[in-house]
Amino acid sequence: MHAYQGIAFRTAYLLTGNAADAEEAAQSAFVKAFYALGRFRPGAELRPWLLRIVANEARNRRRSAGRRANLSLRAAAAVTSGGAAPSPESSLLDAERQSDLLAAVNGLREEEREVVACRYFLELSEAETAEALGLRKGTVKSRLSRALDHLRERMEVDDV
Amino acid sequence: MSELELALTQIGRELDYPETPDLTGAVRRRLAEGRRPRSWRRPLVIALAALVVGIGAVLAVPQARSAVFDWLGIGAVTIRQVEGLPEVELATEDLGVGDRVSLEEARGRVNFPVRVPTLPGYEDPNVYYGEPLPSGQVSFVYGSLDKPQLLITQVAAIGALEKLVNTATRVEQVSIDGASGVWIEGERHFLFYPGADREEPFRLVGNTLVLERNDGVTVRIEADISKEQALRIARSMR
Repeated sequence: MHAYQGIAFRTAYLLTGNAADAEEAAQSAFVKAFYALGRFRPGAELRPWLLRIVANEARNRRRSAGRRANLSLRAAAAVTSGGAAPSPESSLLDAERQSDLLAAVNGLREEEREVVACRYFLELSEAETAEALGLRKGTVKSRLSRALDHLRERMEVDDV
Repeated sequence: MSELELALTQIGRELDYPETPDLTGAVRRRLAEGRRPRSWRRPLVIALAALVVGIGAVLAVPQARSAVFDWLGIGAVTIRQVEGLPEVELATEDLGVGDRVSLEEARGRVNFPVRVPTLPGYEDPNVYYGEPLPSGQVSFVYGSLDKPQLLITQVAAIGALEKLVNTATRVEQVSIDGASGVWIEGERHFLFYPGADREEPFRLVGNTLVLERNDGVTVRIEADISKEQALRIARSMR
């Protein structure tokens, strides 16, 4: 359990946007998973199975709370450390553009935001994203494609 | 991956997540209190309630066994116990550690802190950088590539690698300075990267210490050494 509590909590937090709800959702998910262990299909991947339970719990809490999750960046992320040369990846976006892109993600429709969060923020594979969100892999692909189009449009508008 | 996708991945690593609470205690309490979800069927709950008593009870349920061993996963490594190891072509001439680089170059290529042992004799490793995982992997090889004496690998990922061990292999949970890990000792076991973009060969490895550091980096120390020596090396990493 210790090995999965980090990813479980982060998943719940991305879907609820609230630490208390995320903790409650993750706890409930582990309890449900434990009771359901006997029905876990031997040979299947445990992580996406567990994350699906987490995602369901988190969505239920988000719906009952009636609020959207708004994510933010760490303050430290906006500061270049020690004058060191940025890695190729970290130089992709400056802090302002990162904030703009995250705001654009926050503005996506919930179903698109969920797949973006799972695929890119949690770095799940498409198959894991599909399993975690209870979607078909093709649905994940199409939602991701639409989400990326919307983000590109939004970022282009912001450049004007 | 497009630039936009890479940027989203980068943002994901810099999100302001609250610190992960320790869920273990609360979950244990809820299980002990029998605070189960209402939708579960009572007979199933009664049968499985015994599992709360301890891992030993869980292991007695054959169909749950593989799942429980999955829960021994630490950081980026999932340890899966199987009845028999697969017959595979081993990459005996290639450790799969990537290219030789300087320590500074390796540190510049990854977005996680790379730590070096300060234990005498281990301070000056041969450094390699590879990308079996998108977030990169830094390896320290002691000895030569064809006759390595000790291998230390650092990655920042979750559930990205799997170790297959058979039932004769001992898997023991350990803890160093608040970081949790496992010590794998006994018969040889396999390491591979499930779901990697390219086929990664199985690699036959010796005794292994796997640690998930508090900063999210998974460290593997693989060598024919004792658990105590592996722990000493891990503790000295700065």
